[in-house]
Amino acid sequence: MDVVVEELTQVWPGRHGASVVALDRFSHRFASRRFTCLLGPSGCGKSTLVQIVGGLETATSGHVRIADPARPGLSRPLGADSVMVWQNLNLFPWRSVLDNVAFGLEMQGVSKSERHERARALLASVGLGGFEWHLPGQLSGGMRQRVALARALIMERPIMLMDEPFGALDAQTKIVMQEELLRVFDQTHKTIIFVTHAIEEAILLGDEVVVMTARPGRIKEVLAVDLPRPRSLEMVNSKAFGALFDRAFHLIREEVMTSMAQQTMALEAR
Amino acid sequence: MTRGKTTFGAVVERAVPTMVIVGVLLAWELFVRLRGIAPIYLPPPSTIAVYLFRMLADGSIEFNLGVTLLRIFAGFAVAALCGVTLGVLMGMSRIIARIADPWIAALYPLPKIALIPLLVIWLGTGEVYKIVISAITAFFPIVISTYAGIRQTDHGLIKAAQDLGANRRQIQLKIVVPAAIPSIFAGLHLGMGVTVILVVAAEMIGSSSQSGMGFLLIQSGQVMETEKVFASLVVLAVVGALIIKLQQWIDRKVAPWTAYRDEH
Repeated sequence: MDVVVEELTQVWPGRHGASVVALDRFSHRFASRRFTCLLGPSGCGKSTLVQIVGGLETATSGHVRIADPARPGLSRPLGADSVMVWQNLNLFPWRSVLDNVAFGLEMQGVSKSERHERARALLASVGLGGFEWHLPGQLSGGMRQRVALARALIMERPIMLMDEPFGALDAQTKIVMQEELLRVFDQTHKTIIFVTHAIEEAILLGDEVVVMTARPGRIKEVLAVDLPRPRSLEMVNSKAFGALFDRAFHLIREEVMTSMAQQTMALEAR
Repeated sequence: MTRGKTTFGAVVERAVPTMVIVGVLLAWELFVRLRGIAPIYLPPPSTIAVYLFRMLADGSIEFNLGVTLLRIFAGFAVAALCGVTLGVLMGMSRIIARIADPWIAALYPLPKIALIPLLVIWLGTGEVYKIVISAITAFFPIVISTYAGIRQTDHGLIKAAQDLGANRRQIQLKIVVPAAIPSIFAGLHLGMGVTVILVVAAEMIGSSSQSGMGFLLIQSGQVMETEKVFASLVVLAVVGALIIKLQQWIDRKVAPWTAYRDEH
């Protein structure tokens, strides 16, 4: 299923009557079963965009359509085909790991034995067998990340929206989780929209990198990543990777400068 | 070497508080005996202990403590049930919150002991009066904490649940209420504390039932049996500490995740 975003604009009402334009007429077609990374400086509206696509925020204007190329007449309500993986995970701290993963099935009324069985299998596949009855607070950052991934995967929705999911992890854990995500993508071929501000991560994971401008968020350039799959971390040293990195770095550098200048101006205006 | 030192330090850390308690009791004993202070003013700890055992032997402590505890738990149960229910309803319905808010704001700061004369006129000095006065007092901290807990639910958790297909009712039952449990428990702790105070106070003031720790205290005081007053105070202090320990134990059983909260 393609995610078609047309002329999406999001304006937040600011203090003292000054409103903030987070997204400005953003249009893009996120191709089915492809891994697209949204790369941009902080505050460029990337998180807002995925939340609108996930049906969790309402845009000021513009449209998002979930379109199935095989059935052009079909249009699906937002959120029904996608699931979110959050930057701060949003695991339910009072629920065991197993009941966190089984949450979505529980909401659908799936019986306890069935949802536990499926959650157990999924936990085992992400290497968390034996931790079913732990609480999220008892796990390390990387393990909690896997729980969040399993909780999203159990929904079996074709689109996965990921909002800087590895942003808070230490460098080593991040590498392991990136490999884990690549494995999941190769197996399931979901449509993934992955928000990040790390250039290397965007190129390593994505089929396509959408570089965004500083606020208001627009598309600066779309880079096609033609590295072969399955991807591996060694590709970071390849010539093709280096060229893409240079290109993305050049683009993002300008935007980060603009973003920093905006923040300085906002501080001085206060 | 280092390990031996820490073990020694740990032993000292455990032993010193006990030694201080023993030291204070010993100083008290010596002070009273050497200065020849009359037991009617300040009895020595040894005499208080003797009276305590005598009162335990004749059953007067057991009976009065039992009666007081029954009143405490009755008042607390009423307050907990009403307070948590109203707090949850306020958190879920803006209209109920709007209606209840001015009443709580006006009645919460009122010293509940000031209601005793009115309650005695309406209810007499029987059991109902003692349970009502303690329940009214405990109700306020419970309802306020519950409401605050419901309102402060992490918005990210609500969004995550919504994304995973939870409807409004499921979000309230499966997310908002469990997320408020630590806050509700904090309210119950405060409520239990004031229930103990109000039950003992109500037993002291115009109680027709002639029973309870408050009655035992006031009766012993009136006939100048200072030893019995002290013995009753010791019992109340120990029971109070046990109630707090019990609550902490229940917290850990019912809401074990709160222990890991700060790691997020």
